[in-house]
Amino acid sequence: MNKPLEAVKEPAVEIRFGQVGLAQVRIRTTDAGVILDELTGRVASAPQFFERTAVCLDLSALEKEPTMSEMRGVFDAVRRAGMLAVGLAHGTQAVDTLARSLDVPVLTQFRVQGKATPVQPPVKEVPKAPPPPVEAPVLHPPSLMQHQPVRSGQRVYARNSDLVVTATVGAGAEVIADGCVHIYGTLRGRAVAGARGEVTARVFCQEFHAELISIAGVFRVFETLPPELAGKPVQAWLDGDDLRFARIGG
Amino acid sequence: MTEIIVVTSGKGGVGKTTTSASVACGLARRGKRVAVIDFDIGLRNLDLIMGCERRVVYDFVNVIQGDCTLKQALIKDKRIETLFVLAASQTRDKDALSMEGVRKVFDELIADGFEYIICDSPAGIEKGAHLAMYYADRAIVVVNPEVSSVRDSDRILGLLSSKTQRAEKGEEKVKEHLLLTRYSPRRVATGEMMSVGDVKEILGLDVIGVIPESPDVLSASNAGTPVILNDQSDVSRAYEDAVGRLLGDTLPLRFLEEPKKGFLARMFGG
Repeated sequence: MNKPLEAVKEPAVEIRFGQVGLAQVRIRTTDAGVILDELTGRVASAPQFFERTAVCLDLSALEKEPTMSEMRGVFDAVRRAGMLAVGLAHGTQAVDTLARSLDVPVLTQFRVQGKATPVQPPVKEVPKAPPPPVEAPVLHPPSLMQHQPVRSGQRVYARNSDLVVTATVGAGAEVIADGCVHIYGTLRGRAVAGARGEVTARVFCQEFHAELISIAGVFRVFETLPPELAGKPVQAWLDGDDLRFARIGG
Repeated sequence: MTEIIVVTSGKGGVGKTTTSASVACGLARRGKRVAVIDFDIGLRNLDLIMGCERRVVYDFVNVIQGDCTLKQALIKDKRIETLFVLAASQTRDKDALSMEGVRKVFDELIADGFEYIICDSPAGIEKGAHLAMYYADRAIVVVNPEVSSVRDSDRILGLLSSKTQRAEKGEEKVKEHLLLTRYSPRRVATGEMMSVGDVKEILGLDVIGVIPESPDVLSASNAGTPVILNDQSDVSRAYEDAVGRLLGDTLPLRFLEEPKKGFLARMFGG
């Protein structure tokens, strides 16, 4: 039943995905001196929090598209203030071009307030108009299903969808979804819904013993469980900036 | 048909080696051909528990590195004909083990007609523990009824379902069994210790045995006699039951209640 195994080589590189919190810095000017002054003040007020922290620059509040040299000045100012700009917030085509020449990523998680320029499809002469296609129903990505217990140290992530767990989530385990998290078992570990900022996402569980609940970045750790919720079926949702919890089914 | 069984736990000191030795003896006493292998390279203990420490000439690492044949390294138990021990090396470290090396040893044991290969895993979740579980068909997860041991066992169960050959090849999953050791009904009753039910519920697994806390375990270790061979002890009976269940018997769990003290013992506080 057991066959000899080929030599298993350890790969030189291991790629892992994880969520990190990232501060967003919206700039209203490209004047490096002004930015440096203001940021230095902020960093000094909470050095532990801001010192060498990675930030994402949001250019949407600028009056006009900045030039390359202005952007280099801004990056330099941010760095001298003590922070590290690691990318640009997703926005217009010009932002894409700038990011490319600055060799930094565009972070799609941060949607800027400004309007994005739609990409114009190339206009082509169509000799005969084809009959209009029947509108296909939009199929949402189905939820990620997890039927095995999620054990301590394991992490399950449902990208762009809900996560449905039909077993236990152990202490020290993490279940994460861009949408909602549904647990039809006991939740003893951590549950993160709306991992990419979806504020309407919710966490549902059959038996509530969670260590941590987070929705769209707002989280709460449970050093002591509210006695009225411990062991009960519970849902959690976001109400403005507050996490709310309630028993399901009376 | 050879079955590879890993005895693992994550946490140290919960009774992996005691269990490996007793389960191996129990199976061998029923006439099965059994090899028990110590994967704790650098901190070998199994040979002491099995009472063959003075007969170790070659070890597991020697076989893997081709310094000797498997036959030379297998130590035949003096009490049970069909039981063999492969000791760990005390002088090397765990990097001396390799995936291919372990596979080669297993293949040789399988070709030699062994029915059970018991792998005594080291504590932790590093390379030694990973190699011990990698080829397993079954796992006995040894757990003490206390929170940190339960947490570590949960972690190990996660690894069993993702880091084994069966998981990587998408084959039928490794059969997992829970074995509670150092169970003290008195301390469960006073709420100091978790009950069988609590552990079962948290880990979501069936319990293959509950071994009562007993001084017999330590004296058996000191004597180099696996505790299952001490027929006077409750521990032995509990391990016998566990071996029976491993082979498919349905037996009720014993030793979950505090033994009733006799009249004289109560009078004299014995």
